[in-house]
Amino acid sequence: MGDGRSGGGGVNRPAWLQQYDLVGKIGEGTYGLVFLARTSLRKCCIAIKKFKQSKEGDGVSPTAIREIMLLRETCHENVVKLVNVHINHVDMSLYLAFDYAEYDLYEIIRHHREKLNHSINQYTVKSLLWQLLNGLNYLHSNWIIHRDLKPSNILVMGDGEEHGVVKIADFGLARIYQAPLKPLYENGVVVTIWYRAPELLLGAKHYTSAVDMWAVGCIFAELLTLKPLFQGVEAKATPNPFQLDQLDKIFKVLGHPTPERWPTLVNLPYWQNDQQHIQGHKYDNHGLHNFVTVPQKSPAYDLLSKMLEYDPRKRITAAQALEHEYFRMDPLPGRNALVPSQPGEKIVNYPARPVDTTADFEGTVAVQPSQPVSSGNAASGNIAAASVAPSRSMPRAMHVVGMQRMPNTGMSTFNVAPQAGIGAPSSGNIPIPRGAAVQAHQQQLRRKDPSMGMQNPGYPQQKRRF
Amino acid sequence: MADFQTSTHRSRWIFSPQELLEKREAANQRAAKSLEQFGVTRLEVHLDGSVSYAEPILDQKDNAERSLPKPLNCEEEQHMRIFYEQKIQEVCLAFKFPHKIQATAIMYFKRFYLQWSVMEHHPKHIMLTCIYASCKVEENHVSAEELGKGIQQDHQIILNNEMVVYQSLGFDLIVYAPYRSVEGFIEDMQEFCHTRDEEQEKFKNFLQTANAEVDRIMLTDAPLLYPPGQLSLAALHRSNEVHGVLDFERYLNILLSRQHSAYSTSQLFESLKSIDTLVGKLNIPTAKDMRHIDRKLKSCWDPSSQDENKKREKRSKHKSKRTASEMQGARA
Repeated sequence: MGDGRSGGGGVNRPAWLQQYDLVGKIGEGTYGLVFLARTSLRKCCIAIKKFKQSKEGDGVSPTAIREIMLLRETCHENVVKLVNVHINHVDMSLYLAFDYAEYDLYEIIRHHREKLNHSINQYTVKSLLWQLLNGLNYLHSNWIIHRDLKPSNILVMGDGEEHGVVKIADFGLARIYQAPLKPLYENGVVVTIWYRAPELLLGAKHYTSAVDMWAVGCIFAELLTLKPLFQGVEAKATPNPFQLDQLDKIFKVLGHPTPERWPTLVNLPYWQNDQQHIQGHKYDNHGLHNFVTVPQKSPAYDLLSKMLEYDPRKRITAAQALEHEYFRMDPLPGRNALVPSQPGEKIVNYPARPVDTTADFEGTVAVQPSQPVSSGNAASGNIAAASVAPSRSMPRAMHVVGMQRMPNTGMSTFNVAPQAGIGAPSSGNIPIPRGAAVQAHQQQLRRKDPSMGMQNPGYPQQKRRF
Repeated sequence: MADFQTSTHRSRWIFSPQELLEKREAANQRAAKSLEQFGVTRLEVHLDGSVSYAEPILDQKDNAERSLPKPLNCEEEQHMRIFYEQKIQEVCLAFKFPHKIQATAIMYFKRFYLQWSVMEHHPKHIMLTCIYASCKVEENHVSAEELGKGIQQDHQIILNNEMVVYQSLGFDLIVYAPYRSVEGFIEDMQEFCHTRDEEQEKFKNFLQTANAEVDRIMLTDAPLLYPPGQLSLAALHRSNEVHGVLDFERYLNILLSRQHSAYSTSQLFESLKSIDTLVGKLNIPTAKDMRHIDRKLKSCWDPSSQDENKKREKRSKHKSKRTASEMQGARA
């Protein structure tokens, strides 16, 4: 039988795929590829992240499973929304369809650094940071540690109802607290080391949500200065969390950590083992204020230094950070981070994500492998960019043939109604039980957390009572 | 763990007894119908993870000539499920997996068979796959090969079924097991009782009995009917009847008032009593009980095995009359 694979009407692609018009490829990483597509019916933009099958004989990709299961349980304005999961039975790969987001912090920062040559305005920095912390506070209070926060994983919505809203993305490395946390290198995943907390670099076995706060500190500094704060060179030779150069970069800015300031430091494996390099080398305390552009006495500086606290137990938490004085003074943070609240302030038009329109959904037409899936289907024109953070471990240098830069036309790009449930690959793949489960699933995806939902985003302006 | 209040576990996987009944009846009848139509209930899970009906093996002529195998009824399906749920516990114990892996695997197994009949997907295959998936989700990764080897099963079966299992679970993979809340409650109870050091031993036994009670609760329908907190309180309640550690009702009163719960103590006791009843009715089938059902399943699953059974019967007649008569008895 297996007629499900060719879909209805003799079209040689899976039925689920027919609800999308492929636009092109927008990124790739170790897990697989990210595509931009539009829903055939509503013309909404969707980012589709394709997970390759994991190692031979290891079944479905654990990274994909982790990302799906965590996102199925989360629902927050500042966390990316998974709208659908599709299975390609031909090669056992999973396709995750996400709500679409136009920008990410990596591109926003780069645009300011390389094109505009001026810093990001204070309102935007503060709003981006506040929303990032708001999403992170939600995750942490649900016992989820992200573990891989970096500018390219922090998305920002483009034109539309959610314009300028931050979405935390890429949960492939995220963990629930209770789960045993294997050292990062055991996952065999390349993670940028620039945002990695010192306790991880020193080999801590037990780590906490504080690792995410360190990353937020690094991102905050980068938003202010447009440069990564600690640009260490990764030692790739050994699968080893110990990154001497990264530690060196941190110590040069923040000074040498001391057991007085960080009592549990002495228990960390690499602190103990590598006395010569780490303990022996003396660093002048240059001071963070020499590296960032904010005055040493400002609340912004105070907040930043509390995020970059060496001792993870003393490091500020997301909940505490949201209450920091920085967010209570003008300009107050807002929901649309990209549109300045003050009149007269110039609106920056950020470039949309590059799209490689020559790409196709690789592997989804394996029934007749030679036939390109997107032929005649890819929308030929103006597409805004997409939502899943493409991994920058393979940097932006996508071979670009026919790449187009899209203008910000006012496309309605979100609130996509899930069209086919997870349980129902809509053609004949699974012959029976669908109905009820699928319905329930769709409701699930639309589930709103009343306190966290969009109706009441809880911005400081609204909740302040003093 | 993430918050149970907003979890998929709470919103999608807690049912009423009526709903359970309906879902199971629907699956059972669907399988029975396909048996009638095609002479087989088995669904083929292909290498690529897709599923289809096994090739119809009956044409009209055949139909007239021989009698169809009988489908399992709902009660027999239930026996089958309980038998394999208990097997999950055995296998997990043999591998020395932590409690929560066992509990997650059983929950997956239970949820899976709300969508399917055991006649459609063989419970032995699904059992192994649920254990494998549970290990993956709970970050206790074991390769399919390792798992298969450990219990002398072909690991390819696991890989073939993995995707079907995730799909049938709607990818709701985070499951809240009662074991953890048992520990939490015990800590709280110790505070409630102002436990002295010399009483530690008592609480250790209290915990042990409660965990054994949870093991039994996991084999009933209770995990599909009640939230994990109530399951663990039911287990603790039963354990307290053995060890007499505290005034349970007073503890519940204080617990509920502290949480400003909308529940009343009597309502909560009502739930605990219902869970008790389910555990009381639990009848774990023995391997011997299973033989009859297993044979029936085999013939629905693969009717050609009936013919083979006949051949084997003939052969074995010489060797052992008993086996042969048993087989005939089974088919009668």
